[in-house]
Amino acid sequence: MNDLLDEFLLEARELVAAATANLLALEQKPNDRESLDGAFRAFHTLKGAAGIIDFTAMARALHAAEDVLSELRKGSGAITPELISSCLGCVDQIMEWLDYMTSHGQPPADAGARADEVVRQFSWASAARRGIPEPPPPASVEGAEELSGAAHALLQEQIALLSDVTAEDAPARIASAVTVAVNVLRGTGRHAAAREMEHLLVALQNAADRTAVVSAIENTLRRPHDGTDEGVAAPSPAQDTAPRTLRVDVERIEALVKLAGEISVVKNALGHAVKLAQDSADKSLAGFLADQHTTFERLADELQQSVLQLRVVPMRQSFQRFPRLVRDLAETLGKPIRFLVEGAETEADKTVVENLGEPLLHVLRNAVDHGIEPAARRAAAGKVETGTIRLRARREGEHVIVEVEDDGGGIDIRRVRETAADRGVMASEAVQALSDEDAVSLIFAPGFSTATVVTGLSGRGVGMDAVRRAVERLGGRVGVESRFGKGTCVRFILPFSVIMTRVITVETAGQVFGIPLESVIETVRVPTDRVTPIGAARAFVLRDRTVPLLDLAEILGQRSAPPARDELNVVVAAIGGEVCGLAVERLGERMEVMLKPRTGLLSVMPGISGTSLLGDGRVFLVLALDELLR
Amino acid sequence: MTFKILVVDDSRLARMAVAKALNAVQPDWTRVEASNADEAVALAKETTLDVALVDFNMPGRDGLQLAAELRQMNPTMPVAVVSANHQEEVLRRAREVGATFLMKPLTQEALGTFLASAVARLTGKA
Repeated sequence: MNDLLDEFLLEARELVAAATANLLALEQKPNDRESLDGAFRAFHTLKGAAGIIDFTAMARALHAAEDVLSELRKGSGAITPELISSCLGCVDQIMEWLDYMTSHGQPPADAGARADEVVRQFSWASAARRGIPEPPPPASVEGAEELSGAAHALLQEQIALLSDVTAEDAPARIASAVTVAVNVLRGTGRHAAAREMEHLLVALQNAADRTAVVSAIENTLRRPHDGTDEGVAAPSPAQDTAPRTLRVDVERIEALVKLAGEISVVKNALGHAVKLAQDSADKSLAGFLADQHTTFERLADELQQSVLQLRVVPMRQSFQRFPRLVRDLAETLGKPIRFLVEGAETEADKTVVENLGEPLLHVLRNAVDHGIEPAARRAAAGKVETGTIRLRARREGEHVIVEVEDDGGGIDIRRVRETAADRGVMASEAVQALSDEDAVSLIFAPGFSTATVVTGLSGRGVGMDAVRRAVERLGGRVGVESRFGKGTCVRFILPFSVIMTRVITVETAGQVFGIPLESVIETVRVPTDRVTPIGAARAFVLRDRTVPLLDLAEILGQRSAPPARDELNVVVAAIGGEVCGLAVERLGERMEVMLKPRTGLLSVMPGISGTSLLGDGRVFLVLALDELLR
Repeated sequence: MTFKILVVDDSRLARMAVAKALNAVQPDWTRVEASNADEAVALAKETTLDVALVDFNMPGRDGLQLAAELRQMNPTMPVAVVSANHQEEVLRRAREVGATFLMKPLTQEALGTFLASAVARLTGKA
């Protein structure tokens, strides 16, 4: 049964997302047939899914929502925000159940009562709309064991319903009556009687024989329940069929990514072996090795590329919760807001997409809270009362651009300058000297804003420092453009793929540095007395080879470490085909880091390939050895 | 005698549920699956199908339209349209295209009964 439950949870979550998206679209454009059909289909399929795993309470709650949407599809009734809220409320309940089932493997005990609550929410709407004979909900007997009176009444009602059928609608009425009867019987544990009733329905498929049904229902009413039902037969395991897309555990992909990384390290070592062989006497071996190395290099690169492709996901995965959040926030603040999402199918690395949610949420909240003005103020300024917020994503070369644009009041640059000067972000004269474009970027400066101080401010800036840091952690940049009175656009420029670099950390002159593992051959401890001076330089012997020894601190222009211990920690690296040893104070750990390209001052410094973060948040430089030793 | 049955539903969960029921009532039958009408028609063109079980509510063409197409391609093929909702409209149209109407969630019993009648029709013992 577990594979069914797993598939149910997976599919139900997808359907919940689809239902939410369609409901929100419908609220924006009440005449959009596609959204209405989409919402209806999502609720309908969800109900079907609930039926398959026998979660009758969920089916009942969904049926209520589906009923309302079904009426709307027939053109009766208007789509109001209240109605959308009721539907979203139902979705919320479903989500809660799905979460519970994910952790407990079964529905919660109070599901029946909660479903009643959802149904009540809808009753006003459906009561007003129901003018035509409609079959009662097929799955309306949750908790029927204690309502034998109600079950009895339901069955009686079916007989009554069948008493005035016309030839035209007979099959539908009969089928509906049988379904209700079957459900009542199931709900009260009368499985055998339910099966008989079902057989009757199949037998009567195209005939309009209501008398048989009426007498069958009457029979079940008369016949006492003997309690000998064997229940439902256990389902046999099913063969699975091949789906169009494969769902793979993230961990397995991570393992593959790691493997591809390790292969590229071996690839470099192989290159080194080729070099060694070329130096030796046997030239045929060298040629053979070189050919193999070329092939291996190509395959390793291809593997790495296709593995990185596995990690690419659409922005939608991060964007899909925003329409709902913006809607709820706008409702709380009483601001009419139109929220538009563009380019949700734009793809980027999973790490980028997943970690984008928090900073984006921050920016969107700011846009709703501080960007969009209250309707009255917009009207006074001659703007349309409904504010618009656009969330956009697009690919530009190796970058993905994500923008949040609002047509609100814009940022008051004068206030930004004042605040920056007051808080000591920058000296007052320096602040005044900034161009408007540069001054507006002060909102991202550390110390510019704290949530408590800034909410009273007319501008924005709640936690923009945190937003900047989150985006920079992903290897991206943030920017902001604002026109006072017209609106604001916050832009994230993010890398399309995140290249994880494997490094070994070393410590020297009291600082941590990273050395890319792809240039590292091994790490060794060399006894001090084995180091021999050769001219002005030093060298040591490693497996019969003389290897030049350099001091990392010296190379970096720092004071050389005091010649303290009797052993040196040496990183043996291959640089441009040459092997050399780098003496460091301490060897750290091997780790996988996201390399942030060097910017600002660092970009003019040779020998640095970028920066990264240690587990404790400290920044460290990752060295480019080939540049450093050139 | 074994037959080949086409199961069409946009929900993989629903297809899995049908597979389970089918394994219980007709374990020897071959099953092919499609998640929409286009896939189903493509399958019907490339292989010979004996019976079809079609979900009513699908994106694109609905189950009734598909049932009509399948019946047009093979007028003797027993086709069932499966839906969670009893709407007279659906029942009437199912009758018009010569398809059987089955309730969703599909029970083993209902499936068994339908398949038994399908076998009877296919082997001319009806």
